[in-house]
Amino acid sequence: MTITVEVTSKVAAPSRTKIIDSDVHPWINGDIKGLMPYLSTAWQRRFEGSKSTLPDHPLRPPLAGATSIRRDTKPPGGGAGGSDPEFMLEDHLDRYDIEYAVLSSIQAGKLATLPNTDEAITLARAFNDYFMNEWLTVDSRYRLAMCVAAHDPLAAAEEIRRIGNEEGVVAVFIPLLNTLMGNRHYYPIYRAAEEHGLPVLIHPTGTEGGFQTSVAFAGGIPSTYIERHTVFPEIAMASITSMVFEGVFVRFPGLKVVAAEFGYSWVPHMLWRMDQNWREFRREVPWIEREPSSYVLDHVRFTSQPAEEPEKDEYLLQILEMVHADRTMVFSTDYPHWDTDSPKSTFRRVPEQMRWRIFYDNAAELYGLATPARV
Amino acid sequence: MQHRVGHLSEIPDREALIVDVNRRSIGVFNVDGRLYAVRNVCPHKQAPLCRGTVEGTMLPSKPGELEYGYEDRVLKCPWHGWEFDLETGECLFGVSGRRAKTYPVEVRDDQVYVEA
Repeated sequence: MTITVEVTSKVAAPSRTKIIDSDVHPWINGDIKGLMPYLSTAWQRRFEGSKSTLPDHPLRPPLAGATSIRRDTKPPGGGAGGSDPEFMLEDHLDRYDIEYAVLSSIQAGKLATLPNTDEAITLARAFNDYFMNEWLTVDSRYRLAMCVAAHDPLAAAEEIRRIGNEEGVVAVFIPLLNTLMGNRHYYPIYRAAEEHGLPVLIHPTGTEGGFQTSVAFAGGIPSTYIERHTVFPEIAMASITSMVFEGVFVRFPGLKVVAAEFGYSWVPHMLWRMDQNWREFRREVPWIEREPSSYVLDHVRFTSQPAEEPEKDEYLLQILEMVHADRTMVFSTDYPHWDTDSPKSTFRRVPEQMRWRIFYDNAAELYGLATPARV
Repeated sequence: MQHRVGHLSEIPDREALIVDVNRRSIGVFNVDGRLYAVRNVCPHKQAPLCRGTVEGTMLPSKPGELEYGYEDRVLKCPWHGWEFDLETGECLFGVSGRRAKTYPVEVRDDQVYVEA
């Protein structure tokens, strides 16, 4: 059987754009069972039986199988969608001619649920070794957002120093605990990331609101998947605001942050409100010497997926302009998750210069992947 | 124009037989003897719609009540979960005005024909 995905839009296809996909999720079959070769005997014993399964948030997507993974991404050889690096090449990178795919593990995101620091550190290290060995060696188009356990920021910094210079490592994924990112708890991680020229990446871990150690949602606990998915942006909004006003970007002027999959239509509001409040309350944060929004534009990058669907198409272009997408936005698909954006059907009406920036140049600069072809 | 797309026995239970008709990818379903043909492109984001699932869904109801219905009449997209009426291609319950393209199907002598 052949599958032909056709584009039905009447708009002429834009000229060919090179693509870097900033949000792709590999999966390890069997959770920690799949990580066993990367754990010492003692740690293998520690994670025996039901302890080898990382917990799921009880609010699951109301999709087939109650899973986030698209059923059409299942590898022919078995296992979950996203678990076979060879098949992902064929099903995703080759199909859309993607030059680089930045891998971040949402399984590793579940480290945020662990109350035990040593377990979290050990698993973070095993996840990184697994992906370096089983994925980065398969194809140089794969690049890794290595993960760290924020439970122990010193150990996290040590992990960055262990592998942060590896060629395939392009970012540091921090599964957030319930501490805002401006808090100095995280500074050893930022220092190490800055030293290695690696942006830190945040992404919904899927554990928010479901575990005591995970990020709590504002105001209370959502009771449905539709609610918790709708309010993901508040996590990024709160942490970016915290970073700016705590002076993280003054302390770490080389630090970059990627906010993956948190949306972006809320960003203009945050920028304007920050600036408005700064004009009123600057004396509370006197280390902020220029408009707070300018720190966001200089240091924070937002992924394009899920592309927002405003009431009128023209609003999307206006929003992209308001968030300075030509500087701040990096294209992403979220493959193999349900809320995928296809490169073929995303941002078709966006002017060509901005498309290039979003689909390639911004990410190339961010991850130091290649000299941008057009600036 | 009618196109022969295969023998009835080639259509798996509840999974689409995906065929190319005039370079259009079309999924043909056999749901308990009822045949449907749907364009394999979701009108939302061009996902391969026919690799989704045939199910029922929750009917509109009062807050806090759940009523399941439309069993075997709903095609659910494998990406964003948009639900389409297999009979009409319409998005269920007015969540969107976009519709999946459907085609008439006919069986003669166990051969399946799609009008496309």
